[in-house]
Amino acid sequence: MKPARWLAATGLALACIAAPAHVGSPDVYAEGQAGPYQLNVVIRPPLVIPGVAEVEVRSEMPGITGIEITPVPLTGEASQHPPVPDAMTPAAGDSQSYTGHLWIMRTGSWQIRFTVSGAKGPGALSIPFPATALATRTMEPGMGAGLAGLGLLLLAGMVGITGAAAREAKLKAGAAVPQANRKRGYAVMAVTVAVLVSTVVLGNAWWKAEAAGYSGYVYKPLEMKAALEPGNVLALNLSEPGWLEFRKLDDFIPDHDHLMHLYMIRWPQMDAVYHLHPDPVTTGQFQLELPSVPAGEYRLYADVVHSQGFPETLMGSVMLPGIAGRALAGDDAAGQDAPVSAAGPAHGEQRFELPDEYTMVWKVPPSLTAKTPYDFRFELLDPQGKPARDMALYMGMLGHAAFVKTDGTVFAHVHPNGTMAMAAFMMANPQSGMNTAPEGASMPAMNMANAGSGLPSEVSFPYGFPSVGRYRIFVQMKHGATVETGVFDAMCGAPQ
Amino acid sequence: MATLTQPASLRAEMKARVPWYLWCCALAVTSVTIGGQWDVSWHRSIGRDTFWTPAHLAIYLCGVLAGIATGYLIFDTTFRKTSPLRESSVHVLGFTAPLGAFLCAWGGVAMLTSAPFDNWWHSAYGLDVKIISPPHALLVLGIFAVKIGALLLIAAAMNRAIEEGCLYGGLQALFLFVAGLTLELAMFFVMEHTLDIYLHRASAYLAVAIGPPLICAAAWKASRHRWAATWLAGIYMAVVITAILVLPLFPAAPKLGPVYQNVTHFVPPRFPMLVIVPAMVLDLLWSRIGAAKKVLVAAVSGPAFVLSLVAAEWPFANFLMTKAADNRFFATGMHDYGTPSWAASVTRHFVAPEHGWAVWPGLSMAMVYAAVSVWLGLTLGEWMRKVQR
Repeated sequence: MKPARWLAATGLALACIAAPAHVGSPDVYAEGQAGPYQLNVVIRPPLVIPGVAEVEVRSEMPGITGIEITPVPLTGEASQHPPVPDAMTPAAGDSQSYTGHLWIMRTGSWQIRFTVSGAKGPGALSIPFPATALATRTMEPGMGAGLAGLGLLLLAGMVGITGAAAREAKLKAGAAVPQANRKRGYAVMAVTVAVLVSTVVLGNAWWKAEAAGYSGYVYKPLEMKAALEPGNVLALNLSEPGWLEFRKLDDFIPDHDHLMHLYMIRWPQMDAVYHLHPDPVTTGQFQLELPSVPAGEYRLYADVVHSQGFPETLMGSVMLPGIAGRALAGDDAAGQDAPVSAAGPAHGEQRFELPDEYTMVWKVPPSLTAKTPYDFRFELLDPQGKPARDMALYMGMLGHAAFVKTDGTVFAHVHPNGTMAMAAFMMANPQSGMNTAPEGASMPAMNMANAGSGLPSEVSFPYGFPSVGRYRIFVQMKHGATVETGVFDAMCGAPQ
Repeated sequence: MATLTQPASLRAEMKARVPWYLWCCALAVTSVTIGGQWDVSWHRSIGRDTFWTPAHLAIYLCGVLAGIATGYLIFDTTFRKTSPLRESSVHVLGFTAPLGAFLCAWGGVAMLTSAPFDNWWHSAYGLDVKIISPPHALLVLGIFAVKIGALLLIAAAMNRAIEEGCLYGGLQALFLFVAGLTLELAMFFVMEHTLDIYLHRASAYLAVAIGPPLICAAAWKASRHRWAATWLAGIYMAVVITAILVLPLFPAAPKLGPVYQNVTHFVPPRFPMLVIVPAMVLDLLWSRIGAAKKVLVAAVSGPAFVLSLVAAEWPFANFLMTKAADNRFFATGMHDYGTPSWAASVTRHFVAPEHGWAVWPGLSMAMVYAAVSVWLGLTLGEWMRKVQR
């Protein structure tokens, strides 16, 4: 199969996969400091648990002599007892890239600890990720045919063996086979066929039961039902669809100040987006008073993080009339753009004009291919076209981005240091101090030249599209007291 | 094997030699026995698993060795007109060879079929963390076939030796050895249900009542040895105790998480069940009533097996829960890396123990299972005693 077709097939398969922390985007893309070394990390979790996670690391600078990786649960007693680390393998022809793989044995919230050694001394970094069974793999036709052939050989062989056992086994050496023995042989062979057919039927039932049991482990996000209530209140009711027992409805922890981050996107135009923060009312119930929104159907993507650092993106939808609601306040953000269309998005540079005459600019990479890590870089320019000087942190970060596929199969809420939930990242790196220090402070590549506020006007997000197709990217940056939302379109192709 | 018994009428100068293919089969079943214990310990100590671990290779060597040896035997007997086994062969799908050779070869093919099946199973449903799964069942079925095929080959050679008036001590010893490893495999397959923390529940005895009595009865009948069941149980216990004593001599460290236990050496298996007690009871019983009707023998043997096993194992399980058993021999203090400190096997508590009358429905069912199992074993043993080819 050609790579493009393979990738398309993979994408189609992924379209059916629910992944915790984001939708249809299970791979983790992250940036972080391991001591003196800036690392770009990709973790591709296994499809099944227990299974093998693939890990890729690229260092921003040379001088690294080795990287070891260790899988450890994010919380609990076992988080204190890491197994023996694995040495990553340097990539051929690129001394700054390493690859490795790790067995992940249980469903839950995990971290991979990277221990780096090099010319500048040692460094360490932990990247959290949720490990769940995502799907059940089907058997390839070739493999199925091969096993079926061997199975038939075994069945035929056993029938022949039992027939011979009944017919000849007790005869003295060289004795002729009596007719009665032949008849007994046929009878035994007939019984054997019946027994084997029954065994195959029972075995098939066992297989189905095992597969059904396994399907219970396949990740199912919390269900979320939305309804508009009097007073322009959006009520969100969460419920357990029947997954694993460790998941609760009452153990959410704040992730950069909020228990829930809700993206509302008008569908299918994707021309209006809202980043809001519902408040908990009671166990499994959230609500918020809506700001003014245009009428239409809205897709809802709600990010939450459980107490063990396990992140989830809950999905829902709601039909709304035109609402003249409250003004945006606090950390709320909203943006509007033309409806997404079939026309190809611009290459080179995309500029998004903001209502206050600021401009957000995306330097589009020359090519965008699926499952490839990129740094998506966006810059905020003031009305004079110069880098904004009054940059501010938006919920503790230089920016937030949402990557949404236009067919609705992918949603990823990404931060400047990656796709992982910040609450989980801080649990994995308690020494990082990121709950008190802004992430931008650790980003030497940012444009600091005109930073009057001390913050750069540029932000980057490490991410890779999971599948071929068209995406819309919503980017939020803050200057002064204004949260800006830029909207950009991207077309992801298959690798060459 | 000083106690092996043979009819006095056999001539001492005519000793039946053990042919090369039987040594190959014995080596094959020994390999899978070592591989099985090693593999479980590997999973419990290191965790990391690929098809190419030494333990896996030892397991699949059984299929390869048995398959090649008996495959050669089948081709040789089929196509070489002067083959000495040609007259003592059966015919299967156009080939000619002793019956046991076909069963061994079938087992080898089944084992090798299970390898890609198991590999796919891991990719579809994850690495299995339990023994009983469809591909493992096919693997175990293949191993059983190799072992039963080897037993048939030995039994036929032994039966022919008796017909010819030869001594058959070597063949008899080999038969008991392979049968003992077959019992070990049967106990291995129900390992998850017979952990020491489950030994105060009827379900553990139900699990043991199905296979072991059948194997003991068949071996007793087919081997013509008075203490056959005792030998089998002794071999099973010796294998496991040897694993307990040897495996922790070698260093190992977990390469997977979550890690709850500080594992520095290979974790040994749990102490074997005291199957030797009911085995001795059965041998004694059969020496007295073994010639009676099979139904009667089975009806008495089933309860005798279960009750004597419970009488020995139940109080012994109490001992295993004490600190006194936390030593190199009983090895109750060595846990796999993934066992949390609060798990029953670490805190040394029985899981959902049954008391008083609650245990008897299950034990009654176990006695029925054991009786049926003994009847089947005696029937199989009688047939094996007559196999000539």
